[in-house]
Amino acid sequence: MSELTRRDSSPPVSSRTKGRSERRREDVREFLAFGLNGERFALPLASIREILKVAPVTEVPRSRPWVLGILSVRGRITTIIDLRLRLRMPSRDPVKQSRILLVDGGEEIIGLLVDEVFQVYRLSADEVELAAVVAGDMSEYVLGIGRPGVVEEGQSPEDILVLLDPEPLLRR
Amino acid sequence: MSDVEDGIRDEFVAEAQEIIELLSRDLLVLDHGQKTGSPDPELINSVFRGVHTLKGIAGMFGFGDLGEVSHVLEDLLDNLRLGRVELTQEVLDVLFEGIEVLQRLLTSASDAPAPNLGVFRAQVDRLVGAKVEADEGFGPYQLDEGVLSVLTEYEEHRLRTNIEQGVPLYRLQLSFGLASIDTDLEDLKARAKPLAEIITYLPSMEGGDDDSIELEVILASRVAVEELREALADRPGAVLEPVARGRSTGAKTIPPPGAVAPAAPAHPATAAPPKAPAREVSADSLSMRVAKTVRVDIAKLDHLMNVVGELAIVRSAVGKLLDRVRQAPELRGVGAELHRIHRGFERHLDELQDGILDVRMVPLGQTFDRLGRAVRQVAREHGKEVRLLVSGAETEVDKLIVEELTDPLLHIIRNAIDHGIERADAREDMGKPKTGSLALNAYQKGNHVVIEIEDDGAGMNADLILKSAVDRGAVSPEAGNEMARGEKLGLIFLPGVSTATEITDLSGRGVGMDVVKTHIARLGGVVDVQSELGVGTKFTITLPITLAIISALVVRVVGRAFCIPLTVVQEALLLDPLDVRRVEGREVITLRGATLPICRLDRLFQLRPRPGEHQASKEYVVVTSLGQKRLGLVVQGLEGQQDIIIKQLGPSLRDTRGFAGATDLGDQRVVLVLDAPSILEDELTIADVRIQRTEAAR
Repeated sequence: MSELTRRDSSPPVSSRTKGRSERRREDVREFLAFGLNGERFALPLASIREILKVAPVTEVPRSRPWVLGILSVRGRITTIIDLRLRLRMPSRDPVKQSRILLVDGGEEIIGLLVDEVFQVYRLSADEVELAAVVAGDMSEYVLGIGRPGVVEEGQSPEDILVLLDPEPLLRR
Repeated sequence: MSDVEDGIRDEFVAEAQEIIELLSRDLLVLDHGQKTGSPDPELINSVFRGVHTLKGIAGMFGFGDLGEVSHVLEDLLDNLRLGRVELTQEVLDVLFEGIEVLQRLLTSASDAPAPNLGVFRAQVDRLVGAKVEADEGFGPYQLDEGVLSVLTEYEEHRLRTNIEQGVPLYRLQLSFGLASIDTDLEDLKARAKPLAEIITYLPSMEGGDDDSIELEVILASRVAVEELREALADRPGAVLEPVARGRSTGAKTIPPPGAVAPAAPAHPATAAPPKAPAREVSADSLSMRVAKTVRVDIAKLDHLMNVVGELAIVRSAVGKLLDRVRQAPELRGVGAELHRIHRGFERHLDELQDGILDVRMVPLGQTFDRLGRAVRQVAREHGKEVRLLVSGAETEVDKLIVEELTDPLLHIIRNAIDHGIERADAREDMGKPKTGSLALNAYQKGNHVVIEIEDDGAGMNADLILKSAVDRGAVSPEAGNEMARGEKLGLIFLPGVSTATEITDLSGRGVGMDVVKTHIARLGGVVDVQSELGVGTKFTITLPITLAIISALVVRVVGRAFCIPLTVVQEALLLDPLDVRRVEGREVITLRGATLPICRLDRLFQLRPRPGEHQASKEYVVVTSLGQKRLGLVVQGLEGQQDIIIKQLGPSLRDTRGFAGATDLGDQRVVLVLDAPSILEDELTIADVRIQRTEAAR
């Protein structure tokens, strides 16, 4: 199995955000950012169990359209979801940078196929805008909007991150 | 004492210990519930059942005192669960003390001076004496007399309690396929659990046809009606509506959805202040009996099995590497050594796998011994003479199966003695031997274990069973007329159907044959019945040997591999396209004179050939069967037979029908295992619906 699901090297932590680690601990949360259809999303780092390279999955007939199939991860049968389809984006075949994030959705650990993995962000409370403002049918699984670097003096905010809530996202 | 009896005794002590531990856990939760004002009635019921079981096994193993204490406790709990005694802290004190007494009796191995049971009994008697009289009537609800008359005492009590507490009642009507009713009902119960309390379920008087049964479920829930509907009434034809209110006996009056019953006046606080236990319990007397065996959670063995599976994958990877090393002339020496190491690894791995499987396997003898005691006891209680003949006690079965087997077997045996075997004088009149015999045979048949329970009693009256089923509304009289004798007998596996004209204490208290069937089905087994009036009855239970590893046929469906459990496969043959005919909109072939419906898996699963893949020229039919039903599955290739470890699919795929799980085929392929019973079920019962639907979609 090692060939197929080798643990990818851990993603780099943003050096710029690292500098602010002295900020009070309690209002800093860590998110793993990834790309999907040209947009940037992030999941709470605590929910990520592992990052896998893409391996051939076994399709499951009659399952939900966004279920890519199943994969054996160290002996455990794991459901893999195409996050593009789940978020109503056009699907596409995996590329070299594609990764599978093993995410703990509360009920089970599910693999999410994403386009690429960026880095871990440490976001303080004032860098997160809560979900209420996000309209549309996505809001159910959107925690909020992350604007890393927004409080940094004289700096324009980095790209916006859509922060996802794993539990509603992975609930059946 | 002989070694065998010693072993049985250890087994009993271990089991009793488990029950007592569970009881004290449940009591603690109950205590908390009582303090916060919402004790879970199901928990009281569960404690009652636990004590009941303890009483049963204590009696069988001759632990008189333990049985007696359990009996006293059982009385108290029975009164509690039926609402005749209110759950107060004082009652809980006594219950906790009862558990302490049981624990001391168990650990003192019955040679230490017994605790003073008289004092304990007096306490219980005082509590039971202060019974609360149940009031009559069902508040504002208008319930069918027909429904009320069949409620058990406990169900009726739960109904009253819910009405008293102002919990709205709902009536859920839905129909189940006869063959899948067991699993569907379990599923419904599981889904209802967090939302509502199921008071009872009864076959409905209306609706239902040959292949399905209409059930009426009475629920109590505070959840909004829409939410209930969404969660429970999701199958076609299901109707969920609030139970009509109003005392008029006329037409149903349906209150607006979501209406809430008027809140009953709050009960005056009756909880007595907690008082100190009547007697001190010294902890040091609880010297535990240390056994040389370890009880292991099956999940841990499953985990080990997973690891073995992973090692098998490592093995094949090393094997491939070995082949490459052998190709390189300069590595010849290394190759030979690697080969030797690899061989050793393989051998040990096989041993490891066998070892883990072996740990799970236990002889049926342990279970049979317990049944033997039960037979003696039950026969004595009924004043009947019964001889038990056992064969095949050495047959080994998965531990998980054995543990779940005792209850259904006990039930069948009790029925056999209670309703089957006649009294000695009656037997003599009929020219039968005075002593009735009950045979318990077990044997291995391929990958299955067959257990037969056969009595030489009165046999079952197929027409009485049919009548009971018709009375219950489970079968229409017309359908009944067309049934073969075997089919009529099979009706006893439906809920509520019985042959007994009166329910005796013995068989009435436990579970019905429907529960027996559900139990066996959950273990992947089937139960059949044959019976001849005046000659006897024979139940045949067929079970897989293990739940961990099964033999499967690996097939290909347009290029994708699937496993079909061999347990359901009768044969596989080449499909001659010219043999295929269409009958009533579905394809069939003729196999040795009989018509066999077929199902093309590629169509069922909507699989298309992958790009560049050529269409298979040959197709095969895998003939599967479940009981009387047969279905041919059309596939494009047969890869052969393989032992596989079935692994569960994740909860996200739970509602995807047709798959029992998946397996690693060793060569790094994950392959789905077909849930043949559900496919057979779907294809043979809703085939017409499906055809109509696809036609409508066009």
